[in-house]
Amino acid sequence: MPTTRTWLQAGGGTVAAALIIAAIVQAVNSSAMWVSNDPVGECGATSGGAVVAAQNVLWAGTGLEPVDGSWDTESDVATKAFQAYNGLPVNGCVDTGTWVTMRALVVSVCDPEFDCRGPDHRVRYTAAGGVRDTYFAENDCDWGSFVPPGVARSPVASNEVIALSRDAVTEIECEG
Amino acid sequence: MVTTIEEPRIRPEWLLGGAITLLGAIIIIVVTLVLGAREDEPVVTPADATALTAGSCAENLRQPHWVPEEVRRAVAECPADISAGIGRTTAEDHLGTWVIYLLDGAENAETFRGDPGLAWPEEEVRAGAYHPASTITYVAYAGSAELSDELSGDNVTVEWEELTESGREARVTRVDNNGYGPVRVEWTDDAGSYLLLGIIGRTPTGSAGPTVAELIRIADSVAANDE
Repeated sequence: MPTTRTWLQAGGGTVAAALIIAAIVQAVNSSAMWVSNDPVGECGATSGGAVVAAQNVLWAGTGLEPVDGSWDTESDVATKAFQAYNGLPVNGCVDTGTWVTMRALVVSVCDPEFDCRGPDHRVRYTAAGGVRDTYFAENDCDWGSFVPPGVARSPVASNEVIALSRDAVTEIECEG
Repeated sequence: MVTTIEEPRIRPEWLLGGAITLLGAIIIIVVTLVLGAREDEPVVTPADATALTAGSCAENLRQPHWVPEEVRRAVAECPADISAGIGRTTAEDHLGTWVIYLLDGAENAETFRGDPGLAWPEEEVRAGAYHPASTITYVAYAGSAELSDELSGDNVTVEWEELTESGREARVTRVDNNGYGPVRVEWTDDAGSYLLLGIIGRTPTGSAGPTVAELIRIADSVAANDE
């Protein structure tokens, strides 16, 4: 018959093991959750992580919502408004020129030389009625976008980093 | 003999009601006039732009002493606010302090009416009629010695400009889309690194936002006055 001390030791050991496993899982997730590209929906020109990133900037810049990783009429109109105001050809196509323009609006939240992990860059638009923020995360080889609560719609989740490739800009709704 | 007593044509309760209504109308008129007079008070850009952040968490920040006259107010956001907003960043000593300067004037005001969609006429959209408010973003990273990664692209120009008053140099990054687009001015000194961001916006009547020269002058006003 196990004694009370044995039960206490077994219980304490179980709790300690659970904590260690949880810490390991958390560490793995935090380092790997935004290294795979385009995990949202189908990869391609009109859906995926690159679309989430563009919609994220358009949310801040034009009030587009929801951010759902799927290109639609509202996204097209928002892109045209963004392009017109920034002097770009107005065609609704998120090509390299449009993406570079969006990228120039992204400001580091942390010291440029400090890796503060997670959402560490943002685009901020301020108006009389308040602010519209959108966040990005950067590591050595990838960019990820981080959709604010209230703006995301399934399959995009708020407060999760959605990865996209830093170098290979996925053109969105561009012909040819 | 029959005596007819006529009732008074104006009853006392009518008089009382009328007096109360008149008093209410006078109060409404006076309050409206007073509030209207307050709104009409001219807002003047202070001689030293640091006055715009007085009383905020950025009060003692190394910051611009000059801003364009269209700037009427500034909104400061300090590391503790940013950390709380993100909810998962705790390294406050590595976070920058943000000051956003809002530009006055019709061309600099946000023009969105509802969400983007078919209700926005195509021709107006193409003309740049739907745009955000114009602002100048200033971020100071205390203790930092580096600038952000250099941006590249066919429509990107990067030049180093001398800040004449302070003798320092700033990296000016323009995304030049036919004269419009974002402009970043970044520099460092012995206390930290700094960034100014503005957008030269295309509107139906011309342009909105600060000019490149204004952004450089703002940068110089940070460096020169704090030497």
